[in-house]
Amino acid sequence: MKDETKFSVKDLNLFYGNFQALKNINMELYKGQITAFIGPSGCGKSTFLKTINRMNDLVEGVKITGNITMDGVDIYKDMDAITLRTRVGMVFQQPNPFPMSIYDNVAYGPRIHGVRKKSVLDEIVEKSLKQAAIWEEVKDKLKKSALAVSGGQQQRICIARTLAIEPEVILMDEPTSALDPISTLKIEDLATELKKDYTIIIVTHNMQQAGRISDKTAFFLTGEVIEYGDTEQIFNNPRDKKTEDYITGRFG
Amino acid sequence: MRAKARRWEFTMIKNSNTKLKDGIAGGLIYLSATITVAILIVIIGFVLYKGLPGINLKFLTRMWDDVTTVVDVNRNNVTGNNTEAGYVESLGISIALEDEAVVIKSIDNDSPVKDAVNVKKVPYALKKGDVIGKAGSTNFKNITLEEAKLALNEGTGPIKMKVTRPGGGIVPMLVSTIYIIGLTLIIAAPIGICAAIYLNEYAKPGKTLNIIRFAIQNLAGIPSIIYGLFGMLVFVQGFKMSYSILAGSFTLSIMLLPTIISTTEETLKEVPRTYRESSMGLGATKLQTISKIIIPSALPGILVAIILSIGRIVGESAALIWTAGTIAQIPKTLVGSEAAAATLTTKMYWLIKETADLEQASSIAVVLIVLVIALNILSKFITRRFLKKRTS
Repeated sequence: MKDETKFSVKDLNLFYGNFQALKNINMELYKGQITAFIGPSGCGKSTFLKTINRMNDLVEGVKITGNITMDGVDIYKDMDAITLRTRVGMVFQQPNPFPMSIYDNVAYGPRIHGVRKKSVLDEIVEKSLKQAAIWEEVKDKLKKSALAVSGGQQQRICIARTLAIEPEVILMDEPTSALDPISTLKIEDLATELKKDYTIIIVTHNMQQAGRISDKTAFFLTGEVIEYGDTEQIFNNPRDKKTEDYITGRFG
Repeated sequence: MRAKARRWEFTMIKNSNTKLKDGIAGGLIYLSATITVAILIVIIGFVLYKGLPGINLKFLTRMWDDVTTVVDVNRNNVTGNNTEAGYVESLGISIALEDEAVVIKSIDNDSPVKDAVNVKKVPYALKKGDVIGKAGSTNFKNITLEEAKLALNEGTGPIKMKVTRPGGGIVPMLVSTIYIIGLTLIIAAPIGICAAIYLNEYAKPGKTLNIIRFAIQNLAGIPSIIYGLFGMLVFVQGFKMSYSILAGSFTLSIMLLPTIISTTEETLKEVPRTYRESSMGLGATKLQTISKIIIPSALPGILVAIILSIGRIVGESAALIWTAGTIAQIPKTLVGSEAAAATLTTKMYWLIKETADLEQASSIAVVLIVLVIALNILSKFITRRFLKKRTS
């Protein structure tokens, strides 16, 4: 599989007020692959993920230097956040469907971007729920509240909601940490399926998960990228001692 | 052996002391609760005792003042087959003597009194309960039923009658209260809700925000009579609205803004942050997120804020006495002389101050208490129902 660059990150630094959360990040993220960010709590992996779809813009007092480009275009200087977020979707740690029906949840994205026709929305909802591997389970209760299903199903509905806006990239911030093992596996299978059509970047504190599904892995520690490369190499042949210590469980 | 027995004795003494203290404390608590409930019962009981006798259909459906009108009625010569003592054929009505007054007791469906017109040729249909003071040239004072019938049937064609519609009812106050509630909410709700949205969603934390919050909190604590004074100076006199429902509504709006803002803000805070994040993550603008996710989620809380406001409007007296006046009439305009309107509360004030009719004041009090209780029940019902909906 040839590495085709989707994102290019250069000299990225991020400050929460006086505290520096990200230090000199330089890396390329590749199209059509699953890239995993691993590292102990507080190492900056989630913060970095949120710079990719500019969700950090919503936080008071955040300062960013350096740049990130997607397909060659600077996402901070040459693109507006709204457009960026229709191309880069995000799935969060806690399943958080809106307090509406399953249909309205999935249709929310298309609706706010102007899609009004019911037939078109019906099509998008069905397609997204199928892609999220949950169509069969909910197709008869689309009008029921999305809060009335299990956590694992809610998370897949949230994934469908993200897929409905037809992004190119899907960011996942510890998407299975609040779920049971069976739902976790279902979502891991889902991610593996989706990488055929999407670029996926997943933050996880579960190393085994990273090992199972990702093509590339980046190891973060106190805001820096310690090591980044093919998952196989990171897990079987880490170059940095700190990486090896983390992988073997000496700290975490 | 001995030490053990002593330790056991200690525990016994400790227990009986503690038990005594517990007993006294418990007794005091029960006593306080009983006194509180007793006071509530006494207050409501007293008001009910004085006011309940005065509450009847007339009280609830009539205007306040007696209204005397001169009307023209086209009599017809259709003879009804009603042989009752008080039946007047030419008018199709039944009359009777009550307290030396001639009262209309019933009106036929096809009675011409329904088409009566006043001196300005405006229709003024007569109603059951109206008192006839004069018919033609006959004064009905100290008249017998027979003489009254004769006077009414005398001659043919139209007859001029002086009719008094008795008052003593609270309809004008009820209608005025509804007008004032509507006006106040139309003014205060949009401003309050938007202000709350600004404070919770847009404002950056800092000194300015703290000052604004401090100001709102203090506004909420200002005694309502000061709002009355302010309203009188600024709206009634300054803007020359004179005693009017608009002056009253503006004053109440200002008074209620802090409550609406605070309650709405509390509701907005309860909307989980993750909803906002997910919405923004899908590429929604802040405005879309607010209008499609946050406000709908906050709607039950906003509704409760509105109902609480209605409760306060219904119960407000000091601010309205000096801005909307105490004249019992249904206001016809927003400002000016025809816009003064007493509410239930301000009329009570007037009754206590100007007349000695504490019974009537108590009757109004009973109506007020019923209204307030009804509003409380309504707000609890809505809260519970929406709480269920959210979690289902």
